Amino acid sequence: MNTKRFWMLATLLVAAFTLAACPAPAPADEAPAAAMEKESEESAAAEAMDEGPCAPATDGPLAGIDPRGQTIVWWHQHSGSREEKLAVIVDDFNSGNECGITVDAQNQGGYNDIRDKVNASAASGEQPANVLVGYQNDQAFYQLNSVLADFNKFIDDPTWGLTAEEKADFFASFIEQGVHPVFDNQRLGFPPNRSMEVLYYNQTWLEELGFDGPPTTPQEFEEMACAAAQANGDGTGGYILRDDASALASWTFALGGNILNEDNTGYVYNGQATIDSMTLLKRMLDNGCAYFFTEGYPNPEFAARRASFTQGSSSGLPFYANDMKTIAEEMGRDIDEWGVTAIPYTTADPVQNIYGADIMITVSAPERELASWVFIKWFTSPEAQARWVEGSNYFPTRAATEEHLKGYVERNPQYGSALSLLQYGAYEPQLISYQAVRDAAETAYNEIMQGADIQATLDALTATANELQEELMGEME
Amino acid sequence: MDGSLSPSAAVRTDLLRQMQAVPRWYRGRQSRRLREMLLAYSFLAPAFIIIGLFGLFPLAFAAYESTLKGLNKIVGSYDGLGNYVKAVDNLIYIIAFWLAAGLILYAGRTIARAFQERRQQQTEPLPWLAPGFVTAVGVALFAHFVYLLLPELLLIPSKLRGQINTQAAFRGLVVEAWWLPKVQIALWGAIALLALGVGGALFVNSRLPRARRNRIYFAPFVSAGITVTAGAALAWLTWTEINAAYSDALEKGEGLDLWSQIVTISAGFLLLLLAWWVWESAGDRPSNTAMALRLGSAAMLMVGGWTLIGELPRVIAAGDQDWWIGLMATVYYVLGTAPIQLGLSLILAVLLFQKIRGQSVFRVLYFLPYVAPFVGTAAVFRIIFSNRPSAPLNSMLTMLGADPLLWLSEPTGIFQMIAGSHVDLGPILAGPSLALVAIMIYGIWTFVGFDTVIFLAGLGAIPNELYEVSAIDGADGWAQFRHVTLPLLSPTIYFLSLYAVIGTFKAFNHIFVLRQAAALGTTDTASIVIFQAFKRDTRYGYASALAILLLIIILAITMINNRVASRRVFYG
Amino acid sequence: MAKSAMAAPIRQRRPAAKGVALNRVIIYTVLIFGAAAAILPFLYTVSVSLMNLTEATGGRAFPNTPQWSNYVEAWHDAQFSLYFMNSIKITLITVGGAIVFCALAAYAFAQMEFPGKGFLFTLLLSTLMLPEAITWVPNFITVSWLGRISPVPWINNWPALTIPFMASAFGIFLLRQFFQQIPKELWDSAQIDGAGHLRYLITVILPLSSAAVMTLVLFGFVGSWNALAWPILVTTTPDWRPISYGLLAFLDEAGALLHLQMAGALITMLPIVVLYFFTQRHFIEGIATTGLKG
Repeated sequence: MNTKRFWMLATLLVAAFTLAACPAPAPADEAPAAAMEKESEESAAAEAMDEGPCAPATDGPLAGIDPRGQTIVWWHQHSGSREEKLAVIVDDFNSGNECGITVDAQNQGGYNDIRDKVNASAASGEQPANVLVGYQNDQAFYQLNSVLADFNKFIDDPTWGLTAEEKADFFASFIEQGVHPVFDNQRLGFPPNRSMEVLYYNQTWLEELGFDGPPTTPQEFEEMACAAAQANGDGTGGYILRDDASALASWTFALGGNILNEDNTGYVYNGQATIDSMTLLKRMLDNGCAYFFTEGYPNPEFAARRASFTQGSSSGLPFYANDMKTIAEEMGRDIDEWGVTAIPYTTADPVQNIYGADIMITVSAPERELASWVFIKWFTSPEAQARWVEGSNYFPTRAATEEHLKGYVERNPQYGSALSLLQYGAYEPQLISYQAVRDAAETAYNEIMQGADIQATLDALTATANELQEELMGEME
Repeated sequence: MDGSLSPSAAVRTDLLRQMQAVPRWYRGRQSRRLREMLLAYSFLAPAFIIIGLFGLFPLAFAAYESTLKGLNKIVGSYDGLGNYVKAVDNLIYIIAFWLAAGLILYAGRTIARAFQERRQQQTEPLPWLAPGFVTAVGVALFAHFVYLLLPELLLIPSKLRGQINTQAAFRGLVVEAWWLPKVQIALWGAIALLALGVGGALFVNSRLPRARRNRIYFAPFVSAGITVTAGAALAWLTWTEINAAYSDALEKGEGLDLWSQIVTISAGFLLLLLAWWVWESAGDRPSNTAMALRLGSAAMLMVGGWTLIGELPRVIAAGDQDWWIGLMATVYYVLGTAPIQLGLSLILAVLLFQKIRGQSVFRVLYFLPYVAPFVGTAAVFRIIFSNRPSAPLNSMLTMLGADPLLWLSEPTGIFQMIAGSHVDLGPILAGPSLALVAIMIYGIWTFVGFDTVIFLAGLGAIPNELYEVSAIDGADGWAQFRHVTLPLLSPTIYFLSLYAVIGTFKAFNHIFVLRQAAALGTTDTASIVIFQAFKRDTRYGYASALAILLLIIILAITMINNRVASRRVFYG
Repeated sequence: MAKSAMAAPIRQRRPAAKGVALNRVIIYTVLIFGAAAAILPFLYTVSVSLMNLTEATGGRAFPNTPQWSNYVEAWHDAQFSLYFMNSIKITLITVGGAIVFCALAAYAFAQMEFPGKGFLFTLLLSTLMLPEAITWVPNFITVSWLGRISPVPWINNWPALTIPFMASAFGIFLLRQFFQQIPKELWDSAQIDGAGHLRYLITVILPLSSAAVMTLVLFGFVGSWNALAWPILVTTTPDWRPISYGLLAFLDEAGALLHLQMAGALITMLPIVVLYFFTQRHFIEGIATTGLKG
């Protein structure tokens, strides 16, 4: 009896393994190839008949590819009112475009969530969305897995691409940010909008303190912040220090320096401009003219007159406007007049740190890729872009859009003054290690503010940053 | 029945007598055991399928990834122990070597025990040896098959990119990977060996005289075989890696550091181990010998410790600084939270279990912090622990006449702060930074509720009768706690202490939310370092290697905990 | 048998002794002090959630006039009504599965004999020891692949959100600890009554361990309710997104508006507090009467 049971168990085991070992070999191998052949035949047939709006091109590299009737998924990070306004614009595209393309815009959390999702999709073979939002160094990470399509093939196409005037209309520096020398100069990103690091100031308060307007030089800035701090007398009132890598870069740019070395392969954090700006900020902190606020965004502090100056992205404009209004109402006083201006500078023109996420197309069927491009081309056309930047308070990426923004600029003077700075752009590094380097830069910033030697700390930061770059490049080989 | 021991023993002997009286029961014993075994496996199956997919697969995946390098690449290029060397330098060779030695030792002990039983109980382990080891080799070959198939499967996504990403193409590629000759050979080899092993076991079983079938040595020998194979594989890998590293070092003209380091550190550890063992054995000796043994062990301890102090810092300095600092912060975090959390919640649970007014309200209050979404409570703690002089805690300090502190922005160690700035305590003695301490307080605040609820459930499982009996015996509150509550609560204490140690070692969410750049990285525990490597830098291989190292540490502590607990935990 | 155990009167913990009054004072002092530490930060949350923007940023302790409208605003802005139902569905499926699977496995570990027990248990525990960040990518791969071979899609659907959490080492370990304390004599007598393992588990073990089971339900509920990173990774549309996603998107949007953030956070935790309040009395008293009435 025992042996019987044992034998039964053994048979079962063997049977189980055999079953596991022999899945029916599906004759699937030929199916996709056949389907593809059929498709191309069909499209060839369609090509012969089709004319009219949105018909496939008859020549050029995109000949015969038909974008009509495609559904495009777009992963973005816009939430709240921006998401609502975006939905309206996208709806208009869906109902109005003559290609019958449908865009499905989906919020996926923040930039990091999108990044995680795209990387996880690449790892699992899941198809990511057709259109993505993300920063330039994300593009490099994605392209390590060949996730992205090259915009050049669309932009330069005689039928679907941009005309020479249109291309020239985009601010050259914005549109060049998506070109990646590491990946054969492919154009992996396209700029739908931009933001800028600016200085927020309280005009009413400055006038009360006896100043005419916002500072332009570091000296004026320090003087005004100190005066405001003295007026408050409780440690607040001055400038809120921002220990962010973008802030550090902005100050370096404003004082005439750069954090990328000359051949764009490494970092220089110990240039004179960075040293000067750190010296200035540290002095302001020591004299009580600047302070740290670590509990969240600084706008309510600014609105409640606990800070005369704050620094941050211009995309915060609507939040500042909202808080200024709310707090004035709650306290029962008039709204302070406030504005944004360039980070105090020593250069001839104010060099602005301009940043912003690009939009990307993922590799998929050519029809989808093309449909994605048709949408992006529409979305960055001056009329659509004007609607979008009005809704979002971002900055446009092409000159022709400004025509459509006149009324908006009149209604929003702060936006207008920031817009006028757009021409003086500089950019943060797009090296693959920049995310890690940002963290190191923030630590170094704090070390300096806590009393470490400025030169030594920045030398060490430069070394660390270049080591990080080397380390990541070493992993790639 | 009052749960005391004597009646239960009576029942047991009674049952035994019954069983002996009915011969069919006796004869059916082996088949009953088999039936119970199969039933147990079928009870485990659903849970283990899910855990296998979502708990064990990530483990296997991490082990595999840790041998690869590459940025944002699931299947990178093979790098052996390279990632580990990057993290802890030469120490990894020592760890791997001792791990291998431990595995082989364990297998040896299993076999030795079997043969000891043979002498003492007249069992028959020898015939089981061959089928056990054949099965073990089969299992090893099966593992080999998994690691052959895994990269082929993981490569499929990259082949699927773009327009060919269809269901049919996916299936086609899976089938293609499955039918690769090397995969099939490994699979069928494994099946053949497993069948041979199991068949051999059945044969042995049928040929053994009935009286000797009591003890089946199949399972212990299979496990011994598997550990030997794993140990041998690890030893071989370590050996080849050391040789490669050594010839590399020679080529660069760096000389003989490697071997001397390995030998010295191993000797240091061995001395410590030996010292512990001698100390333990001294307990069984008459007092004079014990005294001498203990003195000897103390001497060994000192020599061993000195060797390590001489050599370890050099190795540590050569590894990844962020990782070592992260481990240090983790150790502080674990030591600073787990015991306090458990102690507080035990006290609270015992108090809450008394008959008191408002019991249910208190229970809810203590549970609130655990339930609240941490994004909300973390925001509040950021305000409470703010560096502003007017923030809640700082205004309290000012009221008491003390200076305000930087709290979450303070990178200085707390012992250093207490000692003042004129004494430099060094990086280890300075203790966790104030910022990390603030995060610990938040951690304790959150998890006390969690532990309390489980303690309450454990207290509820103690039969009242025991308290009644002990009260009749005249035990007062404290005695009851010592002799009734604590022993009967020991399974819960064991569970919670293990869970707390594991949980605090890989604590992540609230640390990540509360960390500030101003703390200069002093709050970055091991799990933060791993997170950054994995998510921010997409260095999957390196992050996996760090995770495996952390796992080895936690596993070692768990095993020590188990050894200690096995003497003290009392199950009904 | 189980019934009679449940119906037994609430225990007298200790016969009254002298010095009780003093003990009471100490107990209450400790409890009240501890409760204060536990809920002061929490009360501060409640207080901030009722402030206006000026008060919330001014570091005030209490609002002048409570702004109950903050809750309404948070509810609407975070689209909680959309995500609440999703979270309830996800939680119920997860916890339901968890009880069945964990109880079965825990019973096998606690009360049955089989080879490889120690090894399997160590393996189980070791799955707890991998940092979560490492598990997301392999688990995403698994979920994606299972979705390709199963009739139901997994990603952006309930399976990816629930099935991975239906069996946890935590749950099995917890239940095992409690099942193990149940005397083996009960099994012997159940066997004589002709009960098999499954019947014994359902009719004896589970009722006797109701505290542990309720604890598992509670923590399953909390874990499922507050899960964040994984749900965001495996959902792309609001169809199955849980409340934690709503809260996160809202926190992003509310940015500096601390009072609204707090209101949103408090709304999401309310269901769990209510659940705990109503179950805790039941489950603690249910097992307090545990006796061997076999």
